[in-house]
Amino acid sequence: MVGRSLPGWLVAAILAAVLVVAPFVLPTIGANADMLSRILIWGIFGLGFDLIFGYTGLLSFGQSAFYGSGGFLAAYLLVSGKIGDVFLGLAVGTVGGALVGLVIGALALRRTGIYLAMITVAFGEMFFFLENSPLSAWTGGENGLPNVPKPAIHLGPIDFAFNTDWRMYGFIAAIYFLGFILARRIVNSPFGHILTAIRDNAPRARAVGHAVQRYKLAVFVIAAAYAGLAGGLEGVLQGYMAPDAFTFDTSGQLVMQTIIGGPATLFGPLIGAAVWLYLRSILQVVGFGPAWKLVLGLVFVVLIVFLRHGIVGGILQFAGRRTTPEAIPTSSGAQGLHLVERVAERPATRGDVVLEARGVGKRYGGIIANSDISFAVAEGEIRGIIGPNGAGKSTFFKMLTGEILPTAGRIFLFGKDITGNDVTAISQQGLSKSYQINQLFQKLTVRQNLNISALSRTRGKFRLDLIRHVDEVPELNADVAETLRLLSLTERADAPVSELAYGEKRRLEIGLALGTGPRILLLDEPLAGMSPQERADTVKLLKQIARGRTLVIVEHDMDALFGMADRITVFNEGHILAEGTPAEIQANPGVQEAYLGGVHAA
Amino acid sequence: MTQYMKQGGGLTRRSALLSGAGMLGASMLPPLSRMAFAADYPPLGNFPDGASGSSVFVGIDVPLTGTYADAGADEQKGIELAIEHLNSGDPLIKNISPKTSKGVLGKQVTSGVADEQAKAAIAVQNATQFITDNKAMVVIGSVSSATAVALNHLAQDKKVLYLPGISGSNDTTGKDCTRYSFRACHYAYSASAAIAPVLLSALGKDRKAAYLTPDYTYGHTVYDSMTKFTEAGGWKTVTNQLAPLGAPDYSAFLLNIANSGADVLVNIGFGNDAVNSIKQAKQFGLLDKMTLVMPYLSPFLAKQVTPELMQGVYGTTEFWWTYGDKDPIAKQFVDAFQKKNGYNPEWGAHAGYLQIALWANAVETAGTFYPPEVIKAYENGEHIKNSTLGDIWWRAADHQLVRPVFVVKGKKQADMKGPDDYYDIVDVIPGEGLMQAPDAFGCKLGDPT
Amino acid sequence: MLNWGNFSSQLFNGLVSGALLALISAGLTIIYGTLGVLNLAHGALFMLGGYAGFVAYQSTGSFVVAVVVGAVFVGLVGVILERVLIRFFYERPEEDQILVTFGLGIVLVEVVRAVFGSLTQNVPAPAWAAGVTSLGFMIYPTYRLLVFGIVAVALAALYLLLYRTRLGMVVRAGIEDPTMVDALGINIQRTFMIVFGIGAMAAGFAGIVNAPIISITPNVGDDILIECFVVVVIGGVGSFAGAIVGGVVAGEILSLTSMFNPSYSAVMLFAVMALVLVARPQGLFGTR
Repeated sequence: MVGRSLPGWLVAAILAAVLVVAPFVLPTIGANADMLSRILIWGIFGLGFDLIFGYTGLLSFGQSAFYGSGGFLAAYLLVSGKIGDVFLGLAVGTVGGALVGLVIGALALRRTGIYLAMITVAFGEMFFFLENSPLSAWTGGENGLPNVPKPAIHLGPIDFAFNTDWRMYGFIAAIYFLGFILARRIVNSPFGHILTAIRDNAPRARAVGHAVQRYKLAVFVIAAAYAGLAGGLEGVLQGYMAPDAFTFDTSGQLVMQTIIGGPATLFGPLIGAAVWLYLRSILQVVGFGPAWKLVLGLVFVVLIVFLRHGIVGGILQFAGRRTTPEAIPTSSGAQGLHLVERVAERPATRGDVVLEARGVGKRYGGIIANSDISFAVAEGEIRGIIGPNGAGKSTFFKMLTGEILPTAGRIFLFGKDITGNDVTAISQQGLSKSYQINQLFQKLTVRQNLNISALSRTRGKFRLDLIRHVDEVPELNADVAETLRLLSLTERADAPVSELAYGEKRRLEIGLALGTGPRILLLDEPLAGMSPQERADTVKLLKQIARGRTLVIVEHDMDALFGMADRITVFNEGHILAEGTPAEIQANPGVQEAYLGGVHAA
Repeated sequence: MTQYMKQGGGLTRRSALLSGAGMLGASMLPPLSRMAFAADYPPLGNFPDGASGSSVFVGIDVPLTGTYADAGADEQKGIELAIEHLNSGDPLIKNISPKTSKGVLGKQVTSGVADEQAKAAIAVQNATQFITDNKAMVVIGSVSSATAVALNHLAQDKKVLYLPGISGSNDTTGKDCTRYSFRACHYAYSASAAIAPVLLSALGKDRKAAYLTPDYTYGHTVYDSMTKFTEAGGWKTVTNQLAPLGAPDYSAFLLNIANSGADVLVNIGFGNDAVNSIKQAKQFGLLDKMTLVMPYLSPFLAKQVTPELMQGVYGTTEFWWTYGDKDPIAKQFVDAFQKKNGYNPEWGAHAGYLQIALWANAVETAGTFYPPEVIKAYENGEHIKNSTLGDIWWRAADHQLVRPVFVVKGKKQADMKGPDDYYDIVDVIPGEGLMQAPDAFGCKLGDPT
Repeated sequence: MLNWGNFSSQLFNGLVSGALLALISAGLTIIYGTLGVLNLAHGALFMLGGYAGFVAYQSTGSFVVAVVVGAVFVGLVGVILERVLIRFFYERPEEDQILVTFGLGIVLVEVVRAVFGSLTQNVPAPAWAAGVTSLGFMIYPTYRLLVFGIVAVALAALYLLLYRTRLGMVVRAGIEDPTMVDALGINIQRTFMIVFGIGAMAAGFAGIVNAPIISITPNVGDDILIECFVVVVIGGVGSFAGAIVGGVVAGEILSLTSMFNPSYSAVMLFAVMALVLVARPQGLFGTR
């Protein structure tokens, strides 16, 4: 994110300076007040869009629905005289846009990626048709609504109307400035950090305890609010609310401008709008006429292919700054308690059954992955699970975490029936899993990865903390520092995941699960692919982690596992073959048979 | 009333003008204009900034891409021809603007074109740019009534004259009329009033009409006007199929019409919508069963659907080039256009030419570019007797030009004497009897200042 | 009171227009199902087919030649696009794929506009298919009946290709698990290229076949694309059967709604789509 490398006040100051200077400099190259105002309006529209697309990875091609809704609501209220004050009208329009965003978001966000793109297109179009015909009594149909008033301030002695082009520019620039500051705060908030996690690896974000759908819906509504505000401003600027606000072209232009300027920069949409509007104007003057769109289309395609981070992103990369989020500086001197100790503070009666599966089974049509699993783990125990490939271990784990629904039986966590609970709820209740194949947040640094887990522990599955800075989350830094120390990753804290060695990534994988503060930790082949030295280190780590916690470990490295575990459960062909201490299992002939096809007395 | 204020009061302005560049400009003006300055008009809109040099700027805001691109390009050519004629003092344009010698009030007319893409918001943006950057004294152009209406209001807001080119909705000089805009072309009401008697006499009084209406105000107003006149004459309206603007497939609507028992199809579509709906109507065999009527013909329609489909079709248009055979001044226009552009002008071009000529006439009559005076000149009711359409005059109450409407009928392909010879002119009906009461559509002109 | 004569003719009409939509959507869904790329340039390819056919018609005067040229040309364009651009995006996030095809669509439209202008172009129906046919309960344009027949044949051909040939088997396996197919030593790259070409060809074919009904302009594909989305969402992404059923459903919705209130027909289509999203997000036949 641009600007994380620069302090917030500096960015704000630079922005303010640019906005103030622009009216004096830019007209010399042919940009008049009207064009600058329009660029800013697209910028405001784009602030919201960058939040959902640049930061959260939701590609919506239907933002025009909110832009138009907010715009027409404001315009209608102002033109019909139901609201006299333009500021109030704009505010109502913003809220209106947000509400429409809530409704559409609730429907559209059920899907992701391609589906989401298609669905948003369709909703956008639906609104266009609604505006054009059934609602034309209010919206003016294809004529739109003329005579939208300009804003004015009548407060006591102050009687000031924004009725010139440059005054309107000032008004809109001020709104952009405020909108930018707010967006930046959102980006730097815990909420904003979780958005980037969602963009990176939504299932893992869910698994570490964040209610991903709610975050998506929340940011979608915020984007819709920005869109509604921008729409209202267009009406006020032009003195006329045009039906084009609802067209697919509007949504498409927003997307293209953001790409051209650079997503996940907040400035990107503004720069993109400047390029677009300015080029369109210049190309027409020069005589290119209708070919302006061809030129811009080619620019767009070239950028997607070669310069995915857009103009701003490209400049930043050239200047050596990362476009990934920068690290949060650690506060010196850990204030928090050791994670390990903290967990141990929880009242625990050693020996209580904390995790239990009763008669659990899973079938896929005719294939039975798990059948009749009865499994109980006691508090503080280290339980190992072994079994040949295809024995159903991973499937069982997925049922425990809530990733898969059992087709038979029930699962209990701390005595509570959690069968059918989703992965986020179970994570919040104190059970988490480290994956067999790394599920890390690839584009974030090590520290940022751990932040995501820690944030779910301290804030629960959903918190609308948009304004506070992520540094202000109590004990976050201390907790993460502690985890880093435990994982021996402190020196690598600010390295992006892509730069880590495999062993380091595996440790981080464990750390992600650990960071949620679980009382029960499932580990799916934590030693897979490790060198002997790495294995030894990881085993040491696991033993440390086991203090004050319950561990269930699936492993193929039986030497390591038998050295750690209190008890071993053996899976075979979907059911439990045997259970006992490591020594018992080693001597069990049935186990030997399953693994080796039978050991005959030699 | 918000003033479009750029700088301070009148006195400061005049003293600024009398010094420096203003001096140079003022010294180049012919005596008439200096007299106008001496009359001490306050700044308003782009006056006097846009008129203080040796040229004035006309902003041409037409669609060059999208559904109405062909009509837009044609309109542009008509406007540019008029500007050329003004600048050279061509005798043709002096028929409409007799006080013109060269230029307008001696100033050369320059222009610029912007593509509004048939989008009202872009039209507004372009016009704003013309007004702010180029100090346009007048903005001209439209094909869709939605853009015309939007620009009407912009003109009133910015205090700069706006002249629609093509705009068929009653609203443009109805509820959306403004003091700063003037419409020269015919429109839903006058078109319907013109064609209805022709239809009633040619097709009989006992007909059942099905309407294919584009679902926006232009379509609605034409429907309202047409049904008013035809039903008064005895026709029955059996169905009104409202098709969304830009619908590619009319099959559903055409089937409804086919099953409605109608024997006349009144197609209100414009531009591409007209092209598509007529082609598909032909494919559905409707044109063999029903008579097609186009109460408001779209430019280039016959060329695009092929004359075979337009054969025998009655329609109205603002101008048809074969009128040159009857009227020598019209002929001059047609010839000049044909010579410059290589084809016979469609009615957008004519409307554009006429609007520029009439504007020049108003400005010359006012003796100044000061908008309220120009508006007064427009509103003085003076008849222009020798236009390309004969006798025409402005109606002050709603800024609609009182002018004839052409009722045409599609020719058989075999009877065509040349490539553009699509229509026979059935009648050229004088405008006065075709217009509604000025306040019938709710026109309230705004303030000139 | 329902006018049954009108109802049955609208029902039939919906079937015919739905079939065309099904063909175009089938191309879109095959490309998505196999390559995982949502081709937002699909509407532009449809438009391109119309123009290619138009050019062929202008020079040869033969409708059949126009159809063949239209389809083959766009198929080739599809292959070239896949080789030159699309294949670099398989590894990139879904959003990037959407964006590049979106940009591509715009470029294609604007290039055609630059070459041909914005005027509508005319491709008449062949003389032997012009006029109307009496179907007993209604009279229907002969050409549209022909289109229905052609589309049905094309869809059948596509079906045979997908389900009865080796290539089709590879394609369907590729839809399920491209990595596995690649690991089996099958040239998945070549398969992707062919699939994109076929999908594009379907769109181009539909474009020229449709040209006598709807005049071609550079923007003729825009609305078609959006209707395809609705079809694919209703029918289920990646499902061939879904494209057919979805297409027919969409055609019927547009036709039948126009009987009651034409201005709502588009809104109705999107409303049904929203309903499907609520009740069964993966579409009628979708599995993802």
